[in-house]
Amino acid sequence: MSYLDLTIKEMHEALVNKKVTPLELTKEAIARAKSDNNNAFETILEDEALAIAKELKEPEVDNLFWGIPIGIKDNFSTKGILTTGSSEILKDYVPVFNATVVEKLLKAHAIPIAKTTLDELAMGGTGTTGHKGMTFNPYDEKHELLVGGSSCGSAAMVANSIAPFALGSDTGDSVRKPASYAGLVGFKPTWGRISRFGLFPFAPSLDHVGFFTRSVEDSAIALSLLAGRDLNDATSSIKPVEDYASNINDSIKGKRIAVIKEVIDSLNDEQIKKAFLASIEALEKQGAIIDYVSFSLKLLEAIYPTYMVISCAEATSNNANLDGVKFGPRYEGNTYQEVMIKARTNGFSELIRRRFIIGSFALMRENQNDLFLRAQKARRLIVNRVNEILSNHDIIYVPAAPTTAPKINASSDRLSDNYLIADNILVLGNFAGLPSITLPIALINNMPLGGNLMGRAFEEKLVFNVAKALENEMGLYNLSARKVK
Amino acid sequence: MKEITKEVLEDAASRLMFEMSDEQYDTLENEFKIIIKQMKLIGEIEGVDEAEAMTFPFDVTTDYLREDVAETPLSKEEVLSNAKDVCDGQIKLPKVVG
Amino acid sequence: MNFEAVIGIEIHVEMKTKSKMFSSAPVLFGAEPNTLVRPLDIAFPGTMPLVNKQAVINAIRVSNALHMSIDNELWFDRKNYFYSDLPKGFQITQDKRPIGRDGYVEIKTKNGIKRIEIERLHMEEDTCKQLHMSNYSLLDYNRAGTPLVEIVSRPNIRSGEEAMKYVEQIKSIVQFTDVSDGKMEEGSLRCDVNISLRPIGSEKFGTKVEIKNLNSLSNVEKAIEFEIIRQQKLLLAGMPVEQETRRFDEMRKETVLMRKKTDAVDYKYFTEPNITPIKLSDEFIKNAIETCPELASSKRNRYINDLNLSEYDADILLQDKAVSEYFDETIKYNANPKLLVNWIMVDIASYLNKNNYSISDLKLSPEHLSDLVKLISEGKISSKQAKDVFLDIVETNASPIDVANKLGIVQMSDENAIMDLVIEALNENPQAIEDFKNGKDRAVGFLVGQIMKKSRGKANPAMTSKLVIQELKKR
Repeated sequence: MSYLDLTIKEMHEALVNKKVTPLELTKEAIARAKSDNNNAFETILEDEALAIAKELKEPEVDNLFWGIPIGIKDNFSTKGILTTGSSEILKDYVPVFNATVVEKLLKAHAIPIAKTTLDELAMGGTGTTGHKGMTFNPYDEKHELLVGGSSCGSAAMVANSIAPFALGSDTGDSVRKPASYAGLVGFKPTWGRISRFGLFPFAPSLDHVGFFTRSVEDSAIALSLLAGRDLNDATSSIKPVEDYASNINDSIKGKRIAVIKEVIDSLNDEQIKKAFLASIEALEKQGAIIDYVSFSLKLLEAIYPTYMVISCAEATSNNANLDGVKFGPRYEGNTYQEVMIKARTNGFSELIRRRFIIGSFALMRENQNDLFLRAQKARRLIVNRVNEILSNHDIIYVPAAPTTAPKINASSDRLSDNYLIADNILVLGNFAGLPSITLPIALINNMPLGGNLMGRAFEEKLVFNVAKALENEMGLYNLSARKVK
Repeated sequence: MKEITKEVLEDAASRLMFEMSDEQYDTLENEFKIIIKQMKLIGEIEGVDEAEAMTFPFDVTTDYLREDVAETPLSKEEVLSNAKDVCDGQIKLPKVVG
Repeated sequence: MNFEAVIGIEIHVEMKTKSKMFSSAPVLFGAEPNTLVRPLDIAFPGTMPLVNKQAVINAIRVSNALHMSIDNELWFDRKNYFYSDLPKGFQITQDKRPIGRDGYVEIKTKNGIKRIEIERLHMEEDTCKQLHMSNYSLLDYNRAGTPLVEIVSRPNIRSGEEAMKYVEQIKSIVQFTDVSDGKMEEGSLRCDVNISLRPIGSEKFGTKVEIKNLNSLSNVEKAIEFEIIRQQKLLLAGMPVEQETRRFDEMRKETVLMRKKTDAVDYKYFTEPNITPIKLSDEFIKNAIETCPELASSKRNRYINDLNLSEYDADILLQDKAVSEYFDETIKYNANPKLLVNWIMVDIASYLNKNNYSISDLKLSPEHLSDLVKLISEGKISSKQAKDVFLDIVETNASPIDVANKLGIVQMSDENAIMDLVIEALNENPQAIEDFKNGKDRAVGFLVGQIMKKSRGKANPAMTSKLVIQELKKR
């Protein structure tokens, strides 16, 4: 057992009691990162991390991130440090400024160990489409299983105990789905709760900063650090930041939890269904009141196409700055158009280019009514339904995925004609911008499965509170591939 | 809505400043068939036409406006640090006409 | 067949705010390339737009001056297209909900007052500047993100003269509200004209031609007049007017083809998701309007009604905002308005003109100009003498009284001082007193002459004469 295997809170105690130093933790984290074979990293920040660690002498008792090794998804701008978005078009881009969340972590004296891989520009859910190839699930030594995406490298890093915390971003379920496959706590808050300044945008109306930890309490601790108004992000909320970890152990007796019937009905795998039902019982045991509610099958089936249209449309515009003129690889050409076309053709994978065309087509004048605006209207209906359920429930509870980590190639990023309700259900949290947390609820054949809790806007505290009760009851705390293997 | 043809998709690609192979266009045409069918079904959902298009996850308005105060700009070196073709402190491109 | 021109004008005005529309980079002209850039302006990934308060205040002020209804919620949209000068690959603008809607301005033409309707006013951001060399182009991002207001008229302008007057009005409004320099020749006010012809009485619009590159008021008028004739000739010859963009060639005094227009570009507009709707309180809007610098129209009323200037004088002063401001400053020191206007429009104007100065280069302070005008109206110096004083103080801003004294041209108008001389002269010339009493009026002239000698010509003659008679009567 190494100190690096601890949660943030435990590691903090060890640091404060001087059982371990930031430098020792950093050295071990770097060593583990270097020996990792899951393709979790774009850049390992050996020199930078050691330099920070060497400066940290006297522990700060009230600062839980002091000296803690962390990972940063490679779509967060880091000053002076390569930031690629796992895309060829940014393979040599070195930002001149830090994302607000990066700045906050650095100010708290956390130690970034690595920039982690992602699906190219965060536009994927498999962890296989980054320019460095696929990222594997640390629970599967044979490298046959996905860790999920788009925050694949951050998930693999925390699941493999290389750090107890890593930043991710979540536009559809890009933190909360891989958290399920990798046995982690994956969280995203209310839209606007954490500044997005410096996060490479995929679809701003759906984008959230999120993160992985190995305990619910760590997740709450992290939110307390990262939340807050930021004058660089006009959409960040002015609501005061709370101490999200306080009262986290309060009883959840009488809390009303809605379980969506259609989602359970759509689960094909009996083991999964059983595990999920067992977790519901656990919540009941903790005193929660469970209601099985019907959402509306039509609206649930509308989630995926609605998501595709909105996210691709926003993405095609957000990534129009990637033209090979101001940054990124430069190609020769006789006209500026030629320079841009070469940069963008070589810079984006086929998948990304297809997504851009879908998004662009949806925005064309004569198509907007049938595609983009219709998707935005469907979003309204779906969100209205979510809020209706939350008007008389505290939490909506769903399985975070319909299966444990799927085989590579079993799932593809091509559009599918099948409605995969349970596969897309986490998008509800992005449509409605609600706080949402995935945490492990079962190990099935040694592979983790997560459950997902979603609460009302800015009621993060309640979400953590219920998640903590579930974590206590299930006993899957500080899970890691190192332990399970 | 525009009919999906290869020409339409090629035009869309060229306006987005990239190229694709024939095979990639085939994949894309299939994807469009799916998405358009699914969006048509969404069009049949009761109340969808009357719903107000939603841009933001919830009703969120602000009264914040940035004060008109100039801050220190980036240094010229920072501005140009990622540009590959620089001439006289400016980014160089093939001659832009029209 | 007789045709009527249907003209609509889009005007882009660069605001002179301290910082950019959505970033805090400084707005300055003539800085070294790429030294006024914040990360947003060069579209580094992860940057987000922050709406400039002063730009909003400016847009409210201009909207109000144009009698528009002002939206109390701000929404922004993205206009998506690729171009070498567009860093983000989209421009943030206001498509669906412009801040100002449905206004008008009144213009004075040969045929009387005409109301030009304005469809919309919205805020947006400028592109980066391209410098075209012989075989390459250079990009300077200093201008990228500079706040703009775009003002779109309805197509109810009918002639070159109307168009010119309309642009002149807009120019005056943005200048007097301090929103912009409004300099067409420098590009801080740019206008694009859409023009088509149709048979008089017809409701249908003809094919529209766009004219760009109009860098002066007179070019607006000339270009439209040329274009009306060009289109008329085509139509009369049974030839179609092509949908195209043309520019005005100043040397040839004609419009020349820039490019044929194919399908209108689809900008794939959608709501900017990084700017949540911004509520403008009634108080905010009211305050923006109430603190707005005085418009030309309001100054004109003041000049005519309060200062009794002629319409002609008022209009001349208001042709240049800086001149009217100089006048306003000077009039605070209570100089005679009419006399002051003459000095500003004649002597100061010709001085500035001769030296190729603008009024901001003038050293002469409003206070000293006022003093000079007062010396004339109080009869202390003649207009002719004032010109000599002016030649000095316009270069030095010295006090006009000091200069007049130095030049020895101030009339002695102090009654007591003159009276002393009168008494002295009478005492010295008892014969003259006798003569006066015997009815010889020329004695007065003689005595005045004596006093002028004593004062070395400075004594005010009228006053001297009055005092001599007064004193003679007492003796």
